[in-house]
Amino acid sequence: MADAVRIQTEDFSQDAEISALKQSSKRMGGVGTFLGCARDFSEGREVSEIRFDSYGSMALSEMQKLRSEAIEKFSLLDARIVHRIGTVRGGDNIVFIAAGAEHRAAALEACRWIIDELKQRVPIWKKEITPQGDAWLASHP
Amino acid sequence: MINVLFFGPVAERIGKNILQAEYQFDIRLQDLRDNLAQAYPEAFDIVCFAAVNGEHVRDMSLPLADGSEVAFMARFSGG
Repeated sequence: MADAVRIQTEDFSQDAEISALKQSSKRMGGVGTFLGCARDFSEGREVSEIRFDSYGSMALSEMQKLRSEAIEKFSLLDARIVHRIGTVRGGDNIVFIAAGAEHRAAALEACRWIIDELKQRVPIWKKEITPQGDAWLASHP
Repeated sequence: MINVLFFGPVAERIGKNILQAEYQFDIRLQDLRDNLAQAYPEAFDIVCFAAVNGEHVRDMSLPLADGSEVAFMARFSGG
């Protein structure tokens, strides 16, 4: 089974991630997920592709901490976080988070918390490539 | 030596991903930042975070050890 926390260039399967999450416990009554995708239009400009840069070892370590903290904070049964780097195009997957808990409220709240914290704490940067030029993005709320 | 890493927009403004700074006895994170900001003011305009050996550091008075890995980073935009 793939690691629960990963940074990778290749695409991921949501079904495979959810299946792996569910295998960790049969007490899981709710699975909350978040899928972040690349947009082909941003701030009035067409976006040809998005390129990522990351501080790989720190980013992975921060994502592992996030998973552990979320499990503790929301009493999750398990959680998985996968983030892509490299180059993606409009419609491509970027990040997937799955949180499993006994009940839905914890699963959904944890999922929201993980993506919000990831944006604040994980050293990954995205650059939009557009016909008008390239621009590093500031984080979105 | 102290290895200083740059990524994304900061690396682009500096023109490199890594540089080596000479270790000096009692050097602190703020000293290193001040020295580099003087050499690369445009890049350090967007530096918001620092990390030492892969851990976020908010206390800029942290003393640095010889062989440390330091990163000065812009606001993140992953996800």
